[in-house]
Amino acid sequence: MSERMNILFRTAALLLWLTAGVAADAETGKIQTLTPLDKPFIAPDFALMGEDSKTYRLSDYRGKMVVLNFWATWCPPCRDEMPSMERAHQKIKGEDIVILAVNVGEDGDTVFAFTGQYPVSFPLPLDFDGSVIAKYPVIGLPTTFIINPQGNVTHRAIGSREWDDDRLLNTLRKMLKP
Amino acid sequence: MRIVIDGTRLSVMCITLSIAASANAAFNIGVDEEARLPYWEIAEPGVSIRLVQRLPDQTRGFFQARGFSVEDSEVIAQSCVFQTVFKNISSPSAPSTIEYNLREWVVHAAGARHGLKTREDWEKEWTTRQAPPSARLAFEWSLLPTRQRYRSGDYNWGMSVFSLKPGDEFDLDIVWHQDGKKRSVLLKGVRCAPDIHLKPGDL
Repeated sequence: MSERMNILFRTAALLLWLTAGVAADAETGKIQTLTPLDKPFIAPDFALMGEDSKTYRLSDYRGKMVVLNFWATWCPPCRDEMPSMERAHQKIKGEDIVILAVNVGEDGDTVFAFTGQYPVSFPLPLDFDGSVIAKYPVIGLPTTFIINPQGNVTHRAIGSREWDDDRLLNTLRKMLKP
Repeated sequence: MRIVIDGTRLSVMCITLSIAASANAAFNIGVDEEARLPYWEIAEPGVSIRLVQRLPDQTRGFFQARGFSVEDSEVIAQSCVFQTVFKNISSPSAPSTIEYNLREWVVHAAGARHGLKTREDWEKEWTTRQAPPSARLAFEWSLLPTRQRYRSGDYNWGMSVFSLKPGDEFDLDIVWHQDGKKRSVLLKGVRCAPDIHLKPGDL
């Protein structure tokens, strides 16, 4: 009897542990998903000055896959995903995938100070007056769009992601070479 | 039968309690690890919603740093602000679509009912009060969106404003639509953060 109870307990423990593990993964909010848009649209072009004083024009990246992120320094999930974006940027060097992280509503000094804590080497264009984000269907920060080499927005992610996740990067690579 | 609670059996019991709770709505109350302030949370299959207190002083400081006047930031600070984290935690293998509209949420306090003050409501107020455009832009994006549609893995953080005084207690009807089906829970006994003015040596 006690042996049967023991087996029952251990089986239940295993099943419950597996269930709890799935729940815990979901709880982290770190599911690396990209949602395909029901209606892809042409990415509105823009030219914005970066925190490095260079001008970044979206249409200059035609022919490449663009990960277009909208963020702000005060937004906790935006900060969370910055290190993984930098790691992704390092992983995709030499590939036709670029990351543009458009800061919304803050000045160059604020963003410069931020990069002291979160060093990144991809462009950080400044949408100081919110005129660019207003052209995109963004409701909350951070929101990231995937723009294909033809200049169409095809996928979206609301909230942070672990951008250096190899499965996520491979998904982008597959989109690049369908 | 003699019950011996060893490590394995204790974890089985804990997990069982957790699952039993999530079969209905699981309500969790605790202290947020990052904010170090109280939170109230519901966890339903596919959905997690957490309200974390914000101290009025945090809110004052945040909005003054973004260009609001002392008077305008005081209006927000005295309105019972929470940091709200709304997540679609459905698995990619069994995805749900979650939609909400804050205008469906109802605050119950002191025998009365009212709705949340949304981005759109505030925008009218800032126009009247002639708040600077840069401050209004920061305000708009720092609030939880009025309406949102989340697919698997999507989530937002944003401030929610409950139009109550610091220290007030309230119940909140939270409504969302999951794969087109209306769902709601009543979160009871939520408390606005008190207005604490710390002086040197208080800590």
